[in-house]
Parts: sequence; C-alpha cells; structure tokens
Amino acid sequence: MRVRAWLALIRAAIMEFLQFRVSALVMLLGNIIYLIVIYNLWKAIYASVDGGVVNGMSFNDTMIYLVLASAQFTFMEAYLVWEMGRAVQSGKIVLDLLKPIPYEQYLLFGMEGGNIAAFVVTFIPTFIIVQIITKGAIPMGINLVYYLIAATLGMLINFTIDFMVGTICLYTQSIWGINIMKEVVVLFMSGATVPLAFFPETLKKIVMFFPFHSIYNTPLMFLTNSSLTTKDSLLMILEQLLWVIGLFIIGKIFWKISERTITVNGG
Amino acid sequence: MEYVIELKNIDKEFKVLNRHEGLKGSFQDLFSRDYKVIKAVNNVSMKIKPGEIVGYLGPNGAGKSTTIKIMTGVLQPTRGEILVNGQIPYKNRTSNAQNIGVVFGQRSQLWWSLPLIESFKLLKDIYGISDKDYKEMLALYESLVDIKELYSKPIRQMSLGQRTLSDILAAFLHNPPIVFLDEPTIGLDVSMKAKIRNLIKALNKEKNTTVILTTHDMGDVDALCERIVIIDKGTMLYDNDINHLKSFFGAYRTLKIKIDKHAEELSQDIRDKEKEQIENLLKEGFEAADFTVGQDEDFYSILIDESQVHLMKVLQYLQEKIKIYDVLLEEISTESVIRKIYEDAENLKKKE
Repeated sequence: MRVRAWLALIRAAIMEFLQFRVSALVMLLGNIIYLIVIYNLWKAIYASVDGGVVNGMSFNDTMIYLVLASAQFTFMEAYLVWEMGRAVQSGKIVLDLLKPIPYEQYLLFGMEGGNIAAFVVTFIPTFIIVQIITKGAIPMGINLVYYLIAATLGMLINFTIDFMVGTICLYTQSIWGINIMKEVVVLFMSGATVPLAFFPETLKKIVMFFPFHSIYNTPLMFLTNSSLTTKDSLLMILEQLLWVIGLFIIGKIFWKISERTITVNGG
Repeated sequence: MEYVIELKNIDKEFKVLNRHEGLKGSFQDLFSRDYKVIKAVNNVSMKIKPGEIVGYLGPNGAGKSTTIKIMTGVLQPTRGEILVNGQIPYKNRTSNAQNIGVVFGQRSQLWWSLPLIESFKLLKDIYGISDKDYKEMLALYESLVDIKELYSKPIRQMSLGQRTLSDILAAFLHNPPIVFLDEPTIGLDVSMKAKIRNLIKALNKEKNTTVILTTHDMGDVDALCERIVIIDKGTMLYDNDINHLKSFFGAYRTLKIKIDKHAEELSQDIRDKEKEQIENLLKEGFEAADFTVGQDEDFYSILIDESQVHLMKVLQYLQEKIKIYDVLLEEISTESVIRKIYEDAENLKKKE
C-alpha cells in the first residue's frame, strides 16, 4: 500500500526539519524583521489617508492579514524549485527517480512533512500571538475548519506550480532566474505581499483569472473576513479544488513529456 | 526466467550543444542551434543470469554509467531492446525500482541528517518490507559487519567508508533480485575496500542477488567478479569470464628491469629519455614484435607477447646493450590485461 510510503516520507521530512533547529529560529527571526519593516511601511501609508480605512481595510485589518500571510509563507514555501533544480544539477535526481514511488508523490509528501512541521512551529504561535495582541480579532468558529481545508488546497496549488516550474529546470539546467521570477509572480499575484483589496479593479479582475490568489488570499480570507457566507466559502473552496485538479493533471503531463527528454548530469 | 537482464543492440545518443570558446562564444551559444550527436552507448548486447556478479569496466567516459542508467530505467535507450526482471525499465521505472537496488559512488540515498536506523526504517516503509523480512535482513547485516554501532549515527557525521557501507546495506535492504553498484569503492582505504568486497560477496551468496559492478579498481574485479564486460567509447570490447580473460592474454608476460643504481635520484626528464631509449632498442632488435614499455617506480616494465618473441631473448638482447642492475619477471595482472585491451582499442581507432 502506497499510504505507508507516503507517511514515511512525511515522517522523514518532519524529522529532518526538526534537526535544523537553528535554521528554524533564523527563519523566525527573519520573519520578525520583515514584519517590523512592513509595519512601519503600512503605518506611513495609513498616516497619509484620512479616516484610517483604505479599500475597506483598517490598519489593524491590513496588519493582521500581512502577519498571517507571512506566517503562512513560512509553512507553505517549501523551496521545491530549488530542491528540484539542485537535484538535477547534482545528479541526485537519479536516486529520487529510483524510489518505488512516482516522482511527484515523492516530492509532494516530502514537502508536506516540512510544511506540517513549520505549521506547528511558526504558524500556530503567530496565530496565538496575533489573537492575544488584537484581543480576539480573528473570528473563531467554523471558519477555522474552512481555513485548514483552504490552506491544504492552497499548499497543493503551490506545489503543482512549483512542480511545473521545477520541471522547466530539466531543460534549462539552471534555477536562479526561473525561481526568482516565479517567486515574484506568485507572491505578488497571490496577495502575499500586498492584500488583494488594494489592487486596482482591473488588476484585481485579471488576478482572479489566475490560480495564485487561491494560494494565499483564499485561506487568509477565512481568517480575516468575518462576513463570508457559507455559500461564498464553499464556492471559494470549490474554485481551489478545481485549480488543484487542473494544475495537477497539467503538471503531470508536462512532467511525463519532460521526463523522456531528461539527461542526468554526471556519469 | 533464465536471464534477469537482457540487452539487445542498445544505442544511446545524446544531443549536445557545440560550445564556442570565450565570452563571445558564450553569447553565441545562447542562440546557437548547432547540435552534435554523441553516441554514448553503441550497439551493446548482454545477458546476465540470476546470481552473477558482473564487473562492468571501461575507462572514464566509456559509457558505463549511461548503460547502468538505461538498465535502471532512468534513461531511455535511443534504439534497442532491454528487459530487466522481465520488464522494460524505462516504461515501468517505478515498479522496476522495487526490484533493484542502487549505489552511486559519491552520492547517498540516505537521509543526510537522520541516524542510519531511521533511514532504514523509512526505506522499510517506502519499499513495503514486512517486519519479518526487515528483522531477518538486519540480523544478517549484523552478522556480516559491525553495523550496530552506526545505527544511531547521522549520515552527515559518517566517514566516507561508513557511508558507503551504509548505502550498500540500504540498497540490499528490500532484497532486490538485482543491485547496481557504480564505483562503490571509490576513495576508500584498503581495509574498508576489503570489508566492502567481503560484504558484497556475502550478500550475493546469501540472497543470490545479481550484482552489476562498475569500478576502476582491479582489486574489486579480482575479489568479486567471475565475469567481466569491458566497454570503451560506448562499444563493447570484451564479455567473458575472468579466467578466460587471463588465458586469452596468457602469452603476455612482464619483464621489469632496473638500469640505474639510484633511479630515485634521477629527474623525470632523464627517466623519460631512458624509457624512450629502451623503446628504440626494442624496435631495432625485434622489428616484428610489439612492446608496451612503462615506468614502475625504479623499474621499467616491458610487456612482452611471448607468441611473438621469447622473454629470455629480449632480456639477453637488452643485457648486451645496457647495464642492468636488477630483473623481475611478472605474470600478467588483470590490471595490465585490461590496460592492454584499452590500448589496443585506442590503437585500432588511430589506425582507422
């Protein structure tokens, strides 16, 4: 049964994540510095407007959104493109391909383990701190269940995009440029750096046609927007689900085609 | 199933960009469509029976690793038929992976930061090994090598030898019918090499595992392989058992002579000149015969084909021409036979 292998890969990734305590700490520290920067940035922006509300979001709303977005980034971003690129360059990919599990599953569950560990280590503490500081600004109810589902689906969308971009590495044999480009596009269009509410109407419409907003914006909506109806929520999750299925199929086909043309370095 | 591995007329071609020199050339390469086709494997056929240990030899870049990658299913051959465990590997790579084990010299398939036993447990789940088989395998390992003390050691803290040992054990863990070992003893010290050879031999015997071994170390070949396959520039040069190889080249013997009292004090230039002098003398004296002259520490070694000229005759001749301080006779070693095969192939190419 495959499930046993999947669980093993998740277990391995969690154990490896926990081996690098210092790295997790540095990641947390970097995140705090990032938060201080955006805090001051947005403070300046809000100081220049009257009434303290921009695009329907108060300074507090914006900060909560961005803090949670950055916490979500720490557990969702698995640097999969790097990993694939490095595996191709070093030739380690041969060993990964020779596991009795399809490569995308090997990557997915390996990444999943790291995500779960980072979720517990960074996201949950951040969530609790935000909740304490804001005296309960985040609604606590069924929306948390929606959040978990949406975050999982968002993670899967993120994975399929990374997997496709990583597959390009098979052709280019280099990662740096491609990965930077992907990162900028994904983080901006997903609403991870600037809340989508701040986007101009036309840009917002364009962004909605892409899968990126389903990665960060959709899950975060369940935590920051208390006016969502059940129908809205289910529709958002359905949209995510369709993206997951669609992208996964495309990614798999792209991989199958690329796989045939690969030349493994070294040897 | 009579054969575990069957290759029939396998070709593998790579398309490589023709790189230009210099900065300007590098820019040109950005837009270049100038490809050349490199034939890494050329019409290779072989059949391997269950339980065999096959030494797969060849100089660097001969196409060994490419062939192994074809057999494991990572690469698809350009032409030809291949069956491994009755399956076409590149079409069924994932299910084929269940039936093979691999060790690629310098890389480890183990989890870098985790203790060895954790890696074993993970592999147990990934390959779906039953508790009983797993326990039996570990018991077998423990009886063969001192592995117990390594269980709690993370891979990144291991020495190269310990890591190679662990990787070999990991490759055999799910008891696959075939294990590919790509240069397993590279960079290891003498005692570790011996340990690893014994381990491979014991596992092969115990589990009747077919082992395909590539190496540059003739010690590996002498210790492990009953059969060797030699490949160079993608073409197969030899495929037969090792004894046959030696008798095939049995007419060869090596004569070693020392012509300087204190050879170690002489510069390399002078020694090269002396070597040349010997070569010229031999050419003058025995026009019909071929010799390979080499330098071996204080001695000059002369590989003589005794079907062309008798060794004693050569010695007698040389003694008249130069002063000889010391003489050694050697039966040909596997290493020199194989070097001879490489060189013959090289010469053949040049003549063409």
